[in-house]
Amino acid sequence: MSSPNDIKKGVVILQNGDPWVVTEFQHINPGKGAAFVRTRIKNLKSGKTLEQTYKVSETITIVEVEYRNMQYLYHDATGYNFMDSGTYEQFSMSDEDVGDQGKYIRDGLEVTLTMYEGRPIALQLPKKMNFKIVETMPAVKGDTASGNVTKEAKTDVGFIVNVPIFLKEGEEIVVNTDTGEYVERA
Amino acid sequence: MNLQNLLSRSQIIKSIRRFFDERGYTEIHTPRLVGLPGQEPHLEPMWTTVKVLSSGNWELGTGNCELPAALITSPEYAMKRLLAAGMDKIYDLGSCFRNNEPWDGTHDPEFLMLEWYRKNLTAEASAKAGADLFLLMDETEEMIRFVCHSRAGGNPEWAQAPFRRISVEDAWREYLGVELTPLLDDLEGMKKLAVSLGQTVDEYDSWDDLYFKIFLTHIEPKICPSDPNHELRTTNYQPTFLYRYPASMAALARRSADDPRYAERVELYVGGLELANGFVELADAEEQRKRFEAEQALRQKLGKKTWPLDEKFLADLPMMGNAVGVAFGVDRLAMLLTGAKSINDVVSFSARERFVSRTE
Repeated sequence: MSSPNDIKKGVVILQNGDPWVVTEFQHINPGKGAAFVRTRIKNLKSGKTLEQTYKVSETITIVEVEYRNMQYLYHDATGYNFMDSGTYEQFSMSDEDVGDQGKYIRDGLEVTLTMYEGRPIALQLPKKMNFKIVETMPAVKGDTASGNVTKEAKTDVGFIVNVPIFLKEGEEIVVNTDTGEYVERA
Repeated sequence: MNLQNLLSRSQIIKSIRRFFDERGYTEIHTPRLVGLPGQEPHLEPMWTTVKVLSSGNWELGTGNCELPAALITSPEYAMKRLLAAGMDKIYDLGSCFRNNEPWDGTHDPEFLMLEWYRKNLTAEASAKAGADLFLLMDETEEMIRFVCHSRAGGNPEWAQAPFRRISVEDAWREYLGVELTPLLDDLEGMKKLAVSLGQTVDEYDSWDDLYFKIFLTHIEPKICPSDPNHELRTTNYQPTFLYRYPASMAALARRSADDPRYAERVELYVGGLELANGFVELADAEEQRKRFEAEQALRQKLGKKTWPLDEKFLADLPMMGNAVGVAFGVDRLAMLLTGAKSINDVVSFSARERFVSRTE
């Protein structure tokens, strides 16, 4: 028996006899209400997704899962392909299962896969990753005066991130992969 | 720390003060440290001890005296006692403290709260059902618009159109196709509905718990869209007032004249944030005592600390008259106007910086 406070991305909950993986979660304290955890969960048998809110004081059943370190190899029609560097076993995850995290992935990246009954159900990226800025507007005098403290920058793997205006093309930055936010210069 | 945001925050606070000052409000500094804090069952005050030498204070007995004290979770009790004492049109802009809330980018154990109260509303307004609540929404909207217009950075798009106003009952009908009113006294019916929507339900779930499970899953994300990564700036920003709550969720609000199972409470949502909470204030001391006792009983049932009712507050309440009041999260308004994704970016030192000594 576990508490909804233990809910994280990739945790598997046993509910009505089926395993459900948590794909999104958010703690909420509505004004004048108890504490809740709002989640999106996915049925690992049927693939059906459900939005569900748990009261923090209720009990849920969290299933043991295995975590394996893997290396990203390539992307193809099946999705993202990874290899266990110890056993050389290969596993594939669909674009849908990888979701928005896919934008951070580059060749050779070391990740942790959450395994349930021998198949990957969730992907954990390093919390902080380094990227190179390949495209961004130069800072313009007067930007800060008009309230602009950030600007958009394109990274070497293609996604766009908001960065402080003083950063230039070619610089390396650290991005928090949980929040998608710029952290600091690398 | 973001210095640009701190400058913006300072401007926002100045504009708020100017708005209320120009409307004839008086700024009050109510005490932060009190003996009897608010006792909402789901809020947790920060407790400490006041030590005092009893010499000369005969009511304290002899020797050294230690008195339990807490930091306020809201200045509400003090503000209402001031109304009862004869003040009108007052606001308080100061820190409030709530323990045991997540550090999730929208909460800090110490946050800047604006509360304002007024009474002696016009007789016509009060006679029409719900009119006081609309007056309160008008003033909240005007305040936000005033702050936005005063900003050097310009007026954000979301603040330009009129704010949306929808009752809780209409929101349930619109987003879920469910009539809430017949369910108000029907715990079994709420359980059935929750189960049919795929929610987990157990014997410990109260009517309010079931309401929140359904509301937070199926309704709030639609009236107050926010991306799961707390991406505040991506979706619909239309500010929405949600009003007329089930009475059990409005312990300090007056019951609605046409259906006492509802109460005159309103919440404002903007861009995924709960920004304000307002009441047409309950002035009936007997009813207030009953609700406080129910809250105390719930605290006990939840295994939480309890403390005596604030008898001075209850004694003053009948003198307060017809009043409305709003509690408003200033840090969150600063987040919306600066585009900061986290409360940590609009305060000088985040909770993590203040309380966690380990550096990464």
